Amino acid sequence: MSQSIKLEVVTPERPVFSAEVAEVQFPTASRGYYGILPGHTPVMTEVGDGLLYYIQEGQKHYLTVFGGFAEVGPDHVTILARESETMDMIDLERAEASRQRALKLLKEAQTEHDIQTAQAKLNASLIRLQAAGHPAGHGF
Amino acid sequence: MAGLQDIRRRIRSVKNTQQVTKAMKMISAVKLRKSQERLVALRPYASKLMEVVRRVVGRIKGDAEIQPGPIAQSFLSPREEQNIRLVLVASDKGLCGGFNANVLKAATAFAAECPAKIAHLDVVGKRAAEWARKHKLTAAGEYLNIPLTGLQRVVTEISASAAAQYQAGEIDALYIIYNYFNSPMSQTPTVFRVFPMDLDRRSEGRHATEVSHLLEPDPNSVLETLLPRFVETELLRNLLESSASEHGARMAAMDKASNNAGEMIAKLTLTMNKIRQASITNQIIEIVSGANA
Repeated sequence: MSQSIKLEVVTPERPVFSAEVAEVQFPTASRGYYGILPGHTPVMTEVGDGLLYYIQEGQKHYLTVFGGFAEVGPDHVTILARESETMDMIDLERAEASRQRALKLLKEAQTEHDIQTAQAKLNASLIRLQAAGHPAGHGF
Repeated sequence: MAGLQDIRRRIRSVKNTQQVTKAMKMISAVKLRKSQERLVALRPYASKLMEVVRRVVGRIKGDAEIQPGPIAQSFLSPREEQNIRLVLVASDKGLCGGFNANVLKAATAFAAECPAKIAHLDVVGKRAAEWARKHKLTAAGEYLNIPLTGLQRVVTEISASAAAQYQAGEIDALYIIYNYFNSPMSQTPTVFRVFPMDLDRRSEGRHATEVSHLLEPDPNSVLETLLPRFVETELLRNLLESSASEHGARMAAMDKASNNAGEMIAKLTLTMNKIRQASITNQIIEIVSGANA
Protein backbone atom coordinates (compact mmCIF):
# COMPACT_ATOMS: atom_id res chain seq x y z
CA MET A 1 0.00 0.00 0.00
CA SER A 2 1.31 3.37 -0.89
CA GLN A 3 2.01 5.87 1.85
CA SER A 4 0.69 8.86 0.00
CA ILE A 5 -2.37 9.97 -1.91
CA LYS A 6 -2.34 11.77 -5.19
CA LEU A 7 -4.61 14.76 -4.70
CA GLU A 8 -5.93 16.37 -7.84
CA VAL A 9 -8.25 19.35 -7.86
CA VAL A 10 -9.58 20.45 -11.24
CA THR A 11 -12.16 23.05 -12.17
CA PRO A 12 -13.58 23.84 -15.59
CA GLU A 13 -11.34 26.91 -15.60
CA ARG A 14 -8.03 25.28 -14.81
CA PRO A 15 -6.31 22.44 -13.02
CA VAL A 16 -5.87 23.92 -9.54
CA PHE A 17 -3.71 21.48 -7.68
CA SER A 18 -1.96 18.18 -8.24
CA ALA A 19 0.58 16.58 -5.91
CA GLU A 20 1.29 13.67 -3.60
CA VAL A 21 -0.02 14.37 -0.09
CA ALA A 22 -0.25 12.44 3.18
CA GLU A 23 -3.80 13.29 4.17
CA VAL A 24 -6.81 15.14 2.77
CA GLN A 25 -9.99 16.44 4.30
CA PHE A 26 -12.79 17.91 2.20
CA PRO A 27 -16.39 19.02 2.77
CA THR A 28 -19.20 16.95 1.26
CA ALA A 29 -22.64 18.18 0.34
CA SER A 30 -24.58 15.89 2.62
CA ARG A 31 -22.30 14.14 5.09
CA GLY A 32 -20.02 16.68 6.65
CA TYR A 33 -16.26 16.46 6.25
CA TYR A 34 -14.48 13.43 4.88
CA GLY A 35 -10.95 12.79 6.06
CA ILE A 36 -9.00 10.60 3.68
CA LEU A 37 -5.83 8.66 4.47
CA PRO A 38 -3.95 6.36 2.11
CA GLY A 39 -5.77 3.09 1.50
CA HIS A 40 -9.26 4.52 1.75
CA THR A 41 -12.08 2.49 0.25
CA PRO A 42 -13.28 3.81 -3.15
CA VAL A 43 -16.01 6.40 -2.69
CA MET A 44 -17.72 8.84 -4.94
CA THR A 45 -19.65 11.74 -3.48
CA GLU A 46 -20.80 15.27 -4.01
CA VAL A 47 -18.57 18.03 -2.69
CA GLY A 48 -20.00 20.88 -0.65
CA ASP A 49 -18.73 24.44 -0.18
CA GLY A 50 -15.93 24.95 2.26
CA LEU A 51 -12.29 24.48 3.03
CA LEU A 52 -10.27 21.51 1.94
CA TYR A 53 -7.01 20.82 3.69
CA TYR A 54 -4.16 18.52 2.82
CA ILE A 55 -1.04 17.62 4.71
CA GLN A 56 2.18 17.66 2.78
CA GLU A 57 5.55 17.14 4.49
CA GLY A 58 3.93 17.70 7.87
CA GLN A 59 2.48 21.04 6.80
CA LYS A 60 -1.23 21.75 6.61
CA HIS A 61 -2.38 23.64 3.53
CA TYR A 62 -5.83 24.91 2.62
CA LEU A 63 -7.79 25.18 -0.60
CA THR A 64 -11.30 26.48 -1.07
CA VAL A 65 -13.78 24.29 -2.90
CA PHE A 66 -17.29 25.14 -4.07
CA GLY A 67 -19.47 22.27 -5.20
CA GLY A 68 -18.61 19.46 -7.55
CA PHE A 69 -17.63 15.83 -7.15
CA ALA A 70 -15.01 13.83 -5.40
CA GLU A 71 -13.72 10.47 -6.41
CA VAL A 72 -11.69 8.70 -3.76
CA GLY A 73 -9.51 5.65 -4.35
CA PRO A 74 -6.87 3.89 -2.23
CA ASP A 75 -4.09 6.02 -3.71
CA HIS A 76 -5.82 9.04 -5.14
CA VAL A 77 -8.43 11.73 -4.51
CA THR A 78 -9.81 13.55 -7.50
CA ILE A 79 -11.94 16.60 -6.87
CA LEU A 80 -13.92 17.96 -9.77
CA ALA A 81 -14.87 21.27 -8.26
CA ARG A 82 -17.19 23.87 -9.70
CA GLU A 83 -14.79 26.45 -8.31
CA SER A 84 -11.65 26.13 -6.28
CA GLU A 85 -8.77 28.37 -5.27
CA THR A 86 -5.40 28.05 -3.66
CA MET A 87 -4.44 30.57 -1.00
CA ASP A 88 -2.50 32.83 -3.32
CA MET A 89 -5.43 33.09 -5.74
CA ILE A 90 -7.67 34.63 -3.10
CA ASP A 91 -7.98 38.37 -3.22
CA LEU A 92 -8.62 39.44 0.37
CA GLU A 93 -9.97 42.85 -0.53
CA ARG A 94 -12.36 41.43 -3.05
CA ALA A 95 -13.58 38.80 -0.63
CA GLU A 96 -14.12 41.42 2.07
CA ALA A 97 -15.96 43.69 -0.37
CA SER A 98 -18.12 40.81 -1.47
CA ARG A 99 -18.90 39.98 2.17
CA GLN A 100 -20.07 43.55 2.75
CA ARG A 101 -22.15 43.42 -0.42
CA ALA A 102 -23.70 40.11 0.59
CA LEU A 103 -24.57 41.46 4.05
CA LYS A 104 -26.25 44.46 2.47
CA LEU A 105 -28.16 42.25 0.03
CA LEU A 106 -29.26 40.06 2.88
CA LYS A 107 -30.71 43.04 4.72
CA GLU A 108 -32.58 44.22 1.67
CA ALA A 109 -33.72 40.79 0.55
CA GLN A 110 -37.45 40.52 -0.14
CA THR A 111 -38.14 37.06 -1.47
CA GLU A 112 -36.96 33.66 -0.35
CA HIS A 113 -34.86 33.46 -3.51
CA ASP A 114 -33.09 36.75 -2.73
CA ILE A 115 -32.28 35.55 0.74
CA GLN A 116 -30.84 32.33 -0.57
CA THR A 117 -28.63 34.00 -3.17
CA ALA A 118 -27.37 36.52 -0.64
CA GLN A 119 -26.73 33.77 1.88
CA ALA A 120 -24.77 31.77 -0.68
CA LYS A 121 -22.68 34.82 -1.55
CA LEU A 122 -22.03 35.53 2.09
CA ASN A 123 -20.97 31.93 2.67
CA ALA A 124 -18.60 31.97 -0.26
CA SER A 125 -16.95 35.19 0.89
CA LEU A 126 -16.66 33.90 4.46
CA ILE A 127 -15.03 30.69 3.29
CA ARG A 128 -12.49 32.70 1.30
CA LEU A 129 -11.79 35.00 4.25
CA GLN A 130 -11.41 32.07 6.60
CA ALA A 131 -9.02 30.39 4.20
CA ALA A 132 -6.90 33.50 4.09
CA GLY A 133 -6.89 33.71 7.88
CA HIS A 134 -8.90 36.93 8.03
CA PRO A 135 -10.60 37.59 11.39
CA ALA A 136 -14.07 38.03 9.81
CA GLY A 137 -13.89 34.45 8.57
CA HIS A 138 -13.76 33.00 12.05
CA GLY A 139 -17.26 34.01 12.91
CA PHE A 140 -18.29 31.45 10.32
CA MET B 1 -2.38 51.27 -69.64
CA ALA B 2 -2.97 52.90 -66.28
CA GLY B 3 -0.96 55.98 -65.51
CA LEU B 4 1.85 56.17 -62.97
CA GLN B 5 -0.29 58.13 -60.55
CA ASP B 6 -3.07 55.53 -60.58
CA ILE B 7 -0.67 52.69 -59.87
CA ARG B 8 0.94 54.59 -57.01
CA ARG B 9 -2.51 55.16 -55.55
CA ARG B 10 -3.38 51.49 -55.84
CA ILE B 11 -0.19 50.40 -54.17
CA ARG B 12 -0.93 52.71 -51.28
CA SER B 13 -4.44 51.36 -50.87
CA VAL B 14 -3.29 47.75 -51.01
CA LYS B 15 -0.66 48.57 -48.40
CA ASN B 16 -3.33 49.99 -46.11
CA THR B 17 -5.44 46.88 -46.52
CA GLN B 18 -2.44 44.74 -45.78
CA GLN B 19 -1.88 46.61 -42.56
CA VAL B 20 -5.45 46.00 -41.53
CA THR B 21 -5.30 42.29 -42.32
CA LYS B 22 -1.98 41.97 -40.53
CA ALA B 23 -3.42 43.62 -37.43
CA MET B 24 -6.47 41.38 -37.56
CA LYS B 25 -4.24 38.37 -37.84
CA MET B 26 -2.34 39.39 -34.72
CA ILE B 27 -5.54 40.01 -32.79
CA SER B 28 -6.91 36.64 -33.83
CA ALA B 29 -3.70 34.97 -32.78
CA VAL B 30 -4.03 36.43 -29.30
CA LYS B 31 -7.71 35.51 -29.06
CA LEU B 32 -6.99 32.06 -30.38
CA ARG B 33 -4.42 31.57 -27.66
CA LYS B 34 -6.93 32.59 -25.01
CA SER B 35 -9.66 30.28 -26.29
CA GLN B 36 -7.23 27.48 -26.71
CA GLU B 37 -5.92 27.91 -23.18
CA ARG B 38 -9.43 27.63 -21.79
CA LEU B 39 -10.12 24.63 -23.96
CA VAL B 40 -6.94 22.93 -22.83
CA ALA B 41 -7.73 23.79 -19.21
CA LEU B 42 -11.20 22.31 -19.51
CA ARG B 43 -10.03 19.07 -21.07
CA PRO B 44 -8.68 17.36 -17.94
CA TYR B 45 -11.87 18.29 -16.11
CA ALA B 46 -14.07 17.02 -18.92
CA SER B 47 -12.22 13.74 -19.28
CA LYS B 48 -12.22 13.09 -15.53
CA LEU B 49 -15.89 13.87 -15.37
CA MET B 50 -16.56 11.54 -18.26
CA GLU B 51 -14.68 8.79 -16.45
CA VAL B 52 -16.66 9.33 -13.26
CA VAL B 53 -19.99 9.39 -15.10
CA ARG B 54 -19.12 6.21 -16.91
CA ARG B 55 -18.24 4.45 -13.67
CA VAL B 56 -21.41 5.51 -11.92
CA VAL B 57 -23.57 4.58 -14.87
CA GLY B 58 -21.79 1.26 -15.15
CA ARG B 59 -22.47 0.59 -11.49
CA ILE B 60 -26.14 1.44 -11.77
CA LYS B 61 -26.65 -0.56 -14.93
CA GLY B 62 -24.81 -3.51 -13.42
CA ASP B 63 -26.99 -3.53 -10.35
CA ALA B 64 -30.56 -4.52 -11.02
CA GLU B 65 -31.67 -3.37 -7.59
CA ILE B 66 -31.01 0.27 -8.29
CA GLN B 67 -33.74 1.96 -10.26
CA PRO B 68 -32.49 5.11 -11.96
CA GLY B 69 -34.51 8.16 -10.94
CA PRO B 70 -36.40 10.37 -13.41
CA ILE B 71 -33.54 12.78 -14.12
CA ALA B 72 -31.06 10.00 -14.69
CA GLN B 73 -33.55 8.28 -16.97
CA SER B 74 -33.95 11.38 -19.04
CA PHE B 75 -30.26 11.79 -19.67
CA LEU B 76 -29.56 8.16 -20.40
CA SER B 77 -32.44 6.42 -22.09
CA PRO B 78 -33.31 7.62 -25.56
CA ARG B 79 -36.92 8.00 -26.64
CA GLU B 80 -38.04 8.13 -30.22
CA GLU B 81 -36.93 11.51 -31.49
CA GLN B 82 -39.91 13.55 -32.59
CA ASN B 83 -39.05 16.97 -31.27
CA ILE B 84 -35.51 18.06 -30.82
CA ARG B 85 -33.74 21.11 -29.57
CA LEU B 86 -30.87 22.38 -31.64
CA VAL B 87 -28.06 24.70 -30.66
CA LEU B 88 -26.30 26.23 -33.63
CA VAL B 89 -22.96 27.84 -32.98
CA ALA B 90 -21.38 30.21 -35.50
CA SER B 91 -19.54 33.50 -35.10
CA ASP B 92 -20.60 37.12 -34.69
CA LYS B 93 -18.21 38.51 -37.26
CA GLY B 94 -17.20 37.47 -40.73
CA LEU B 95 -13.78 37.55 -42.37
CA CYS B 96 -12.94 34.09 -41.16
CA GLY B 97 -12.81 32.04 -44.33
CA GLY B 98 -15.16 29.10 -44.56
CA PHE B 99 -15.85 28.99 -40.85
CA ASN B 100 -19.47 30.15 -40.95
CA ALA B 101 -20.25 28.83 -44.41
CA ASN B 102 -19.21 25.31 -43.44
CA VAL B 103 -21.09 25.11 -40.19
CA LEU B 104 -24.20 26.65 -41.71
CA LYS B 105 -24.06 24.24 -44.62
CA ALA B 106 -23.93 21.40 -42.10
CA ALA B 107 -26.92 22.95 -40.31
CA THR B 108 -28.91 23.18 -43.55
CA ALA B 109 -28.14 19.55 -44.34
CA PHE B 110 -29.07 18.50 -40.82
CA ALA B 111 -32.35 20.41 -40.91
CA ALA B 112 -33.23 18.84 -44.26
CA GLU B 113 -32.37 15.26 -43.33
CA CYS B 114 -33.44 15.12 -39.73
CA PRO B 115 -36.82 13.37 -39.46
CA ALA B 116 -37.61 15.05 -36.16
CA LYS B 117 -39.09 18.49 -35.82
CA ILE B 118 -36.84 21.21 -34.50
CA ALA B 119 -39.00 22.34 -31.63
CA HIS B 120 -36.55 24.77 -30.14
CA LEU B 121 -33.64 26.49 -31.81
CA ASP B 122 -30.87 28.34 -30.04
CA VAL B 123 -28.42 30.37 -32.03
CA VAL B 124 -25.04 31.53 -30.82
CA GLY B 125 -23.50 34.27 -32.94
CA LYS B 126 -24.95 36.76 -35.43
CA ARG B 127 -24.25 34.57 -38.43
CA ALA B 128 -26.28 31.75 -36.93
CA ALA B 129 -29.14 34.16 -36.23
CA GLU B 130 -29.06 35.33 -39.84
CA TRP B 131 -29.14 31.73 -41.02
CA ALA B 132 -32.22 31.08 -38.91
CA ARG B 133 -33.96 34.12 -40.35
CA LYS B 134 -33.11 33.08 -43.89
CA HIS B 135 -34.55 29.63 -43.32
CA LYS B 136 -37.69 31.03 -41.72
CA LEU B 137 -36.96 29.44 -38.39
CA THR B 138 -37.65 31.32 -35.22
CA ALA B 139 -34.80 31.15 -32.78
CA ALA B 140 -36.14 30.90 -29.27
CA GLY B 141 -32.78 31.77 -27.78
CA GLU B 142 -30.38 34.23 -29.36
CA TYR B 143 -26.94 34.63 -27.88
CA LEU B 144 -25.07 37.40 -29.65
CA ASN B 145 -21.72 38.99 -28.92
CA ILE B 146 -20.92 36.64 -26.07
CA PRO B 147 -17.44 37.17 -24.67
CA LEU B 148 -15.33 34.21 -23.70
CA THR B 149 -16.12 34.72 -20.03
CA GLY B 150 -19.86 34.79 -20.70
CA LEU B 151 -19.98 31.30 -22.18
CA GLN B 152 -20.49 29.65 -18.81
CA ARG B 153 -23.72 31.57 -18.25
CA VAL B 154 -25.05 30.64 -21.69
CA VAL B 155 -24.27 27.02 -21.02
CA THR B 156 -26.02 27.02 -17.68
CA GLU B 157 -29.12 28.62 -19.18
CA ILE B 158 -29.34 26.25 -22.12
CA SER B 159 -28.73 23.07 -20.17
CA ALA B 160 -31.15 23.94 -17.37
CA SER B 161 -33.99 24.82 -19.72
CA ALA B 162 -33.27 21.86 -22.01
CA ALA B 163 -33.41 19.45 -19.09
CA ALA B 164 -36.73 20.93 -17.99
CA GLN B 165 -38.11 20.66 -21.52
CA TYR B 166 -37.00 17.08 -21.78
CA GLN B 167 -38.79 16.17 -18.60
CA ALA B 168 -41.91 17.96 -19.71
CA GLY B 169 -41.79 15.89 -22.90
CA GLU B 170 -41.38 18.92 -25.15
CA ILE B 171 -38.10 17.73 -26.61
CA ASP B 172 -36.60 14.26 -27.02
CA ALA B 173 -32.99 15.19 -27.64
CA LEU B 174 -30.55 18.08 -27.56
CA TYR B 175 -28.23 18.52 -30.51
CA ILE B 176 -25.46 21.00 -31.08
CA ILE B 177 -23.83 21.96 -34.37
CA TYR B 178 -20.45 23.62 -34.11
CA ASN B 179 -16.96 23.69 -35.55
CA TYR B 180 -14.67 21.12 -34.03
CA PHE B 181 -11.19 22.47 -33.44
CA ASN B 182 -8.65 20.17 -35.07
CA SER B 183 -5.86 22.69 -35.21
CA PRO B 184 -5.60 26.43 -35.82
CA MET B 185 -5.62 25.70 -39.55
CA SER B 186 -8.40 23.16 -39.71
CA GLN B 187 -11.93 22.93 -38.36
CA THR B 188 -14.62 20.37 -38.96
CA PRO B 189 -18.32 21.18 -38.71
CA THR B 190 -19.73 18.64 -36.28
CA VAL B 191 -23.20 17.55 -35.24
CA PHE B 192 -23.22 16.24 -31.70
CA ARG B 193 -26.02 14.83 -29.57
CA VAL B 194 -25.55 16.16 -26.06
CA PHE B 195 -28.27 14.03 -24.49
CA PRO B 196 -29.65 11.39 -24.22
CA MET B 197 -26.04 10.45 -24.08
CA ASP B 198 -24.35 7.63 -25.75
CA LEU B 199 -21.99 6.33 -23.12
CA ASP B 200 -21.59 2.80 -24.42
CA ARG B 201 -20.12 3.86 -27.71
CA ARG B 202 -17.49 5.99 -26.03
CA SER B 203 -16.59 3.54 -23.32
CA GLU B 204 -15.56 0.60 -25.47
CA GLY B 205 -12.78 -1.46 -24.02
CA ARG B 206 -12.63 0.40 -20.75
CA HIS B 207 -14.57 -1.93 -18.53
CA ALA B 208 -11.54 -3.89 -17.40
CA THR B 209 -10.36 -1.19 -15.02
CA GLU B 210 -13.67 -0.79 -13.25
CA VAL B 211 -13.57 -0.58 -9.47
CA SER B 212 -16.80 -0.54 -7.58
CA HIS B 213 -17.14 2.66 -5.62
CA LEU B 214 -19.34 3.41 -2.70
CA LEU B 215 -21.73 6.05 -3.91
CA GLU B 216 -22.71 8.39 -1.14
CA PRO B 217 -25.30 9.32 -0.02
CA ASP B 218 -26.82 6.94 -2.62
CA PRO B 219 -26.23 6.07 -6.28
CA ASN B 220 -29.24 7.91 -7.57
CA SER B 221 -28.59 11.25 -5.98
CA VAL B 222 -24.98 11.10 -7.08
CA LEU B 223 -26.02 10.41 -10.65
CA GLU B 224 -28.68 13.09 -10.60
CA THR B 225 -26.26 15.81 -9.65
CA LEU B 226 -23.53 14.41 -11.86
CA LEU B 227 -25.40 14.24 -15.14
CA PRO B 228 -26.54 17.88 -15.47
CA ARG B 229 -22.96 18.88 -14.71
CA PHE B 230 -21.74 16.57 -17.41
CA VAL B 231 -24.15 18.07 -19.94
CA GLU B 232 -22.99 21.56 -19.01
CA THR B 233 -19.38 20.63 -19.37
CA GLU B 234 -19.93 19.07 -22.77
CA LEU B 235 -21.79 22.15 -23.97
CA LEU B 236 -19.09 24.42 -22.65
CA ARG B 237 -16.45 22.34 -24.33
CA ASN B 238 -18.28 22.56 -27.65
CA LEU B 239 -18.67 26.33 -27.38
CA LEU B 240 -15.00 26.71 -26.61
CA GLU B 241 -14.11 24.48 -29.55
CA SER B 242 -16.15 26.75 -31.75
CA SER B 243 -14.55 29.88 -30.35
CA ALA B 244 -11.05 28.52 -30.83
CA SER B 245 -12.00 27.39 -34.34
CA GLU B 246 -13.32 30.83 -35.20
CA HIS B 247 -10.14 32.60 -34.22
CA GLY B 248 -8.04 29.93 -35.90
CA ALA B 249 -10.02 30.30 -39.11
CA ARG B 250 -9.79 34.08 -39.00
CA MET B 251 -6.09 33.93 -38.37
CA ALA B 252 -5.60 31.64 -41.36
CA ALA B 253 -7.82 33.81 -43.57
CA MET B 254 -6.04 36.99 -42.56
CA ASP B 255 -2.65 35.40 -43.06
CA LYS B 256 -3.65 34.49 -46.60
CA ALA B 257 -5.02 37.97 -47.19
CA SER B 258 -1.79 39.56 -45.99
CA ASN B 259 0.22 37.29 -48.28
CA ASN B 260 -2.01 38.07 -51.22
CA ALA B 261 -1.67 41.77 -50.54
CA GLY B 262 2.10 41.34 -50.47
CA GLU B 263 2.04 39.61 -53.84
CA MET B 264 -0.17 42.26 -55.29
CA ILE B 265 2.12 45.01 -54.07
CA ALA B 266 5.09 43.26 -55.66
CA LYS B 267 3.25 42.96 -58.97
CA LEU B 268 2.06 46.54 -58.95
CA THR B 269 5.52 47.82 -58.05
CA LEU B 270 6.95 45.92 -61.00
CA THR B 271 4.39 47.44 -63.37
CA MET B 272 5.02 50.85 -61.90
CA ASN B 273 8.77 50.54 -62.43
CA LYS B 274 8.23 49.36 -65.99
CA ILE B 275 6.05 52.35 -66.78
CA ARG B 276 8.50 54.72 -65.18
CA GLN B 277 11.36 53.19 -67.13
CA ALA B 278 9.32 53.35 -70.33
CA SER B 279 8.61 57.03 -69.85
CA ILE B 280 12.30 57.75 -69.11
CA THR B 281 13.34 55.83 -72.22
CA ASN B 282 10.77 57.75 -74.21
CA GLN B 283 12.09 61.05 -72.98
CA ILE B 284 15.68 60.09 -73.82
CA ILE B 285 14.64 58.99 -77.29
CA GLU B 286 12.88 62.30 -77.75
CA ILE B 287 15.97 64.26 -76.66
CA VAL B 288 18.32 62.15 -78.76
CA SER B 289 16.14 62.34 -81.86
CA GLY B 290 15.73 66.08 -81.26
CA ALA B 291 19.52 66.53 -81.07
CA ASN B 292 19.99 64.42 -84.20
CA ALA B 293 17.52 66.49 -86.13
